Amino acid sequence: MSVNWAQVLFNSAITGSLYLIGAVGLTLTYGLSNFPNFAHAEFVTLGAFIGYFVAEQLGLGLPLALIVAFLVTGLVGFLCYRGIFQPLAKRGATIIHLMVASIALGFILRYSIGAAWTWKPLYFTATWSAFDIGPLRVTGLWLWLIFAAVALAVIMHLVLVKTKIGKAIRATSSNPELALASGINIDRVIWITWFVGAGLAAVAGIFRAADTQIWPMTGWDIILPIFAVAILGGIGNFYGAIAAAFIIGLAENIGVVGLIALGLSTTYRIGIAFVILIITLIVKPEGLAMLFRRA
Amino acid sequence: MLLYFLDFVVFVGIFAIVALSLNLEFGFAGLANFGKVAFVLIGAYTYALLSQIGVPFYGCLIAGALISAIFGLLISLPALRLRADYLAISVLAFGEILRLIVKSETWIAEGDWGITVSPAISLTGAPPRIDALVNIGLVYSCLFICFLVVQLLTNSPYGRVMRAIREDEVAAEALGKDRAKYKAQALMLGSAMAGVAGGLYAQYLQCVLPGMFMPMITFTVWIMVLLGGPANNWGALLGAALVELFDRGANMAKDYLALPIDPSNLQYILFGALIIFVLLYRPQGLLKESPIKTKALEAVKYGRGAVKNKGS
Repeated sequence: MSVNWAQVLFNSAITGSLYLIGAVGLTLTYGLSNFPNFAHAEFVTLGAFIGYFVAEQLGLGLPLALIVAFLVTGLVGFLCYRGIFQPLAKRGATIIHLMVASIALGFILRYSIGAAWTWKPLYFTATWSAFDIGPLRVTGLWLWLIFAAVALAVIMHLVLVKTKIGKAIRATSSNPELALASGINIDRVIWITWFVGAGLAAVAGIFRAADTQIWPMTGWDIILPIFAVAILGGIGNFYGAIAAAFIIGLAENIGVVGLIALGLSTTYRIGIAFVILIITLIVKPEGLAMLFRRA
Repeated sequence: MLLYFLDFVVFVGIFAIVALSLNLEFGFAGLANFGKVAFVLIGAYTYALLSQIGVPFYGCLIAGALISAIFGLLISLPALRLRADYLAISVLAFGEILRLIVKSETWIAEGDWGITVSPAISLTGAPPRIDALVNIGLVYSCLFICFLVVQLLTNSPYGRVMRAIREDEVAAEALGKDRAKYKAQALMLGSAMAGVAGGLYAQYLQCVLPGMFMPMITFTVWIMVLLGGPANNWGALLGAALVELFDRGANMAKDYLALPIDPSNLQYILFGALIIFVLLYRPQGLLKESPIKTKALEAVKYGRGAVKNKGS
């Protein structure tokens, strides 16, 4: 069997782009609020369903769907933080309590989505016909996905380095007390991060749903790679997350080739992220953050 | 109706074992085991596979406990020295992967179709309610043993070290307690108990299939422990009974009430809301953690003489 390695690389870029957009919010809120928000998976799902509602049920098209899903899910993310996690943290909840609360929130969101829409898989009707560029088989959706990830990386970089809010985010992430002492409104920084993080999760959800299917487990299906990206990239580290997303994308796609060669089920591709996660914990729990010290 | 009640009692017993094991890990040792269902799965599949080749039921249960404990140790090793969230993520991921494996590898146990499991004690020709009573006997004797072990362990100097590690790892380490060792032991014991519960679960339902081991199980057990009262073994039992009662009630309401929301969705939404409510307004649960019952405490309370007199 000959493998089209160019295609494998291209597929890795697609997978990596999806994971990057999905994981940015998780890693940033993880770094700022000091707990992993398991309900992040449900932000992905919620975004996908809001996108489906706008694009298909209202028939307003995908671009508007992306914007509405970003805003609405971002608002939900902000409200969840404001209504649940912030009061919990103020009452001195431990990290375990916060994690359990995030799982509980995830269940509330997931089953509310199931009640509001349905548990049966839904599909976006917009079809993306495949065409060839050289040895590559691509679709417009995939190109848009890669474009979105690159745009995200550039914009986030500029925001983090050039703007006041970006500097405030980095300051709060590395030392909250000092940031507070320097007159940074920590609460506002965290609120904005939760808003943007959840909004980006929604974007990832729409891309994932448009590429495959949409159901209340859409986000949970990719929670492992998204967590692997956050851990491998170093918690709270945006640049680490970019590198990690593409490493995991590459590993998954090469892994799929390997699985097929070994005659194993390709459903194990999700297991590759798990293996990377465990190796990271054993070898270098702080992830790739070391490489991006100044970030 | 009686049969339904007996079924409820069996379920409470099985889940109480899992809740006790989580209480040991989370309540006493402060470990966030978000993959409890993985160890139940290991116990259940071990039971199913061994009973097929004719191993008696106690052998299956013990083997399930041992294999579960070994996996509990292996999976926790990478994360034990790190923060609680790393353990939570890796164990949660482990549960998902494990379910994927038994689903994809059809040679293990027929994948999604599952395999049937013979009941532990089968009386030929007995009516179902006798079967249920036999199961109650089996499950509650296991529960009794587990409760005794956990209760004695946590009310011993060993349990005091566990609580110390939960409260302040660094201080415990400074006093010469190897926190990784204690955590690994708590996880192994907890996993072994979950393995026993898994075996009981499999033989009671008389089948194993991947769909029985969704992350929802883990979450249900967490509600039991948090609601009942972490670090209180009676609380774990109370929590198991209350949550199971709520579960049954919701299932019954499904038949009698016309709700605008599908009750099976509503049930999980309410579960989620309940847990957030408990965490916000009563994080200590219904039953509070009781002070440890060891001689050292009595010595502090009544002076040294009291302990000596009692000992003689």
